[in-house]
Amino acid sequence: MGADARRPRAAALALAVALVLADSSVVVLALPDIYRDLDTSVAGVTWVLISFNLVMALAAVPAAHLARRVGPARAAAVGLAIFAGAGLACGIADQLSTLILARCVQALGGALAVTASLELLPATVGSERRATVIWASAGATGAALGPAIGGLLTELVSWQSIFLLQVPVALAAAVPILAVAHDEAATGIIATERRRTGRPHLAANVALAMVSAAIAAALFLLVLLLIEGWRLSPIEAAAVVTVMPLAALLGSRLDEHVPSARARAAAGAILVSGGLAGLGLLPKATVLLTIPPQILVGIGLALVLSALTETAISGRAPQAIHGGWTISARHAGVVIGLLALTPIFTHDIAQQRHDAIDAGTAVILDSKVQPLLKISLAQKIEDRLEDEKGKVPTIGAAFEPLPADPGERAEVQQLQGELQDQLNRGATHAFSPSFLLAALLGLLALIPIGLARRVEL
Amino acid sequence: MNGESRRRGRLLVGSSIVAALLLVGVYLAAGGASYTPEKTQDPCKPRPWSNPQGLGEIANQFTISALDGAACKLGVSREVLARALASPEARERFAKRYGIDDAKLARAIRAGLLRAIDDAEEAGALSSLIGGPLRSTVERIPLEQAIELIRDARSALSNVQGLFGPAGKLLEEFIP
Repeated sequence: MGADARRPRAAALALAVALVLADSSVVVLALPDIYRDLDTSVAGVTWVLISFNLVMALAAVPAAHLARRVGPARAAAVGLAIFAGAGLACGIADQLSTLILARCVQALGGALAVTASLELLPATVGSERRATVIWASAGATGAALGPAIGGLLTELVSWQSIFLLQVPVALAAAVPILAVAHDEAATGIIATERRRTGRPHLAANVALAMVSAAIAAALFLLVLLLIEGWRLSPIEAAAVVTVMPLAALLGSRLDEHVPSARARAAAGAILVSGGLAGLGLLPKATVLLTIPPQILVGIGLALVLSALTETAISGRAPQAIHGGWTISARHAGVVIGLLALTPIFTHDIAQQRHDAIDAGTAVILDSKVQPLLKISLAQKIEDRLEDEKGKVPTIGAAFEPLPADPGERAEVQQLQGELQDQLNRGATHAFSPSFLLAALLGLLALIPIGLARRVEL
Repeated sequence: MNGESRRRGRLLVGSSIVAALLLVGVYLAAGGASYTPEKTQDPCKPRPWSNPQGLGEIANQFTISALDGAACKLGVSREVLARALASPEARERFAKRYGIDDAKLARAIRAGLLRAIDDAEEAGALSSLIGGPLRSTVERIPLEQAIELIRDARSALSNVQGLFGPAGKLLEEFIP
């Protein structure tokens, strides 16, 4: 294969991996819109994320075996076609159940495409190590960029556009791969060596699952905090969470300077945990304060995901199967993270909402505004909270019209500021236990990372 | 693995620990773990009046005392009761949720108003010349009027004549 033909194929394979792995997180910023459009609950809409990750976790290894059996190029092309078709179904779904079902099918296609890509990459780029690095980096980049792209599309077009746009991108990635599939079919040669499958790298995969759980929490919780807690629009939230992929780009440059994968994995896990702890300890409800923790999480995720993926795959054959194990571990981690943390933060949000109503009423009752106005304000604020279905509301409307008397007007305006601050701090605090638990998960990943040093599994 | 690569690895891990601890330390120092939601106060605890000046402040503290007294009697917080008294629909929701009928609510509201009168007298905001007749009135008025007295204590206190008839004109002299 000439270098001219290799480059577009390598790019297409990297694009396929990034596209599929971005899909694991791309809908995060669209979830609030989806749950309003499809009239469901926060817990229900979480399944749009969970279903995809669960099927990826379950299907990745069998998909890798299938790809080796039918030919990786053919499998990658078919996988991308299934992914595109299911993406179309997601884009036109008008019920949560249809959307979740289509997401499951999308994950099946995605698993096939991603694992087959790893089998194709060594022949395309000429080295197993380089193939692993490209494959792992494409996956980490896709996962990090996913939320920002999803948020942008949700705000500029609609949440459906996220899935509809995947159709042409998946098909475009499939075209150069089809040429290889054609060769496979014409020659009847499947370009995979029939090597005995070694057992998976247990420590690296367990660590990968734990870190992925923490990272999923970072993305999912931060987005919910920004949109549901602080009332940012999806495009504003997308701009805020872009800090993470930018920091991830910075983190990926460290790979060249630190050859030890274990050191990178440990440093990455520590940074992810530190960043998550920072998000759990935000002193104020301000976007600016989310930036330093996001930088730590971004650099950390680039370091730890690529280091652990490399550790799990390097020197093991066949690569597609071991790549399948890493995909499985990563997505199982995301599922565990979401399943473990969703009930905690939905309970905390409900509790916070209850506390916010009472705290708001207490602030109003203790104020100096006249009793008739304070009782009516208390009621209007409760109505605003009810109308927003659990979202922390902007309470300005409840204070309209402002009293004509200048003294009372100033009093009411001060009250409004105090109350909004109380609600914002309450919303921020509601997310703290989940962020801190996710930080602990990231730290616990140091155990398998440390074990991997003693026993080269 | 050579020494240089090991040194770089240690440097990376060390820097990561420092960065993570620094962030957590700074956020903790800035009050990151200090948030506690505003607590609602126990309505059964006495709440001394804070030297009220003028009718507006008296009416304000009168309302709070009345809400405290009624909430204490019903076993709910004054915040919950305040929201329930805002409209008939809110009252209906409250009655359903806490299983409180109008008779029970009326008894509690009257008890709250009596506590407010006691507190006002104790703070020197209301003369006992007003307090006595006001108590008799509160014990007899229907629920709707009792609620209105809490919601709009200022109008009620500024219109004592409306409450007591012709004698009220004389009594108005005793309200600051």
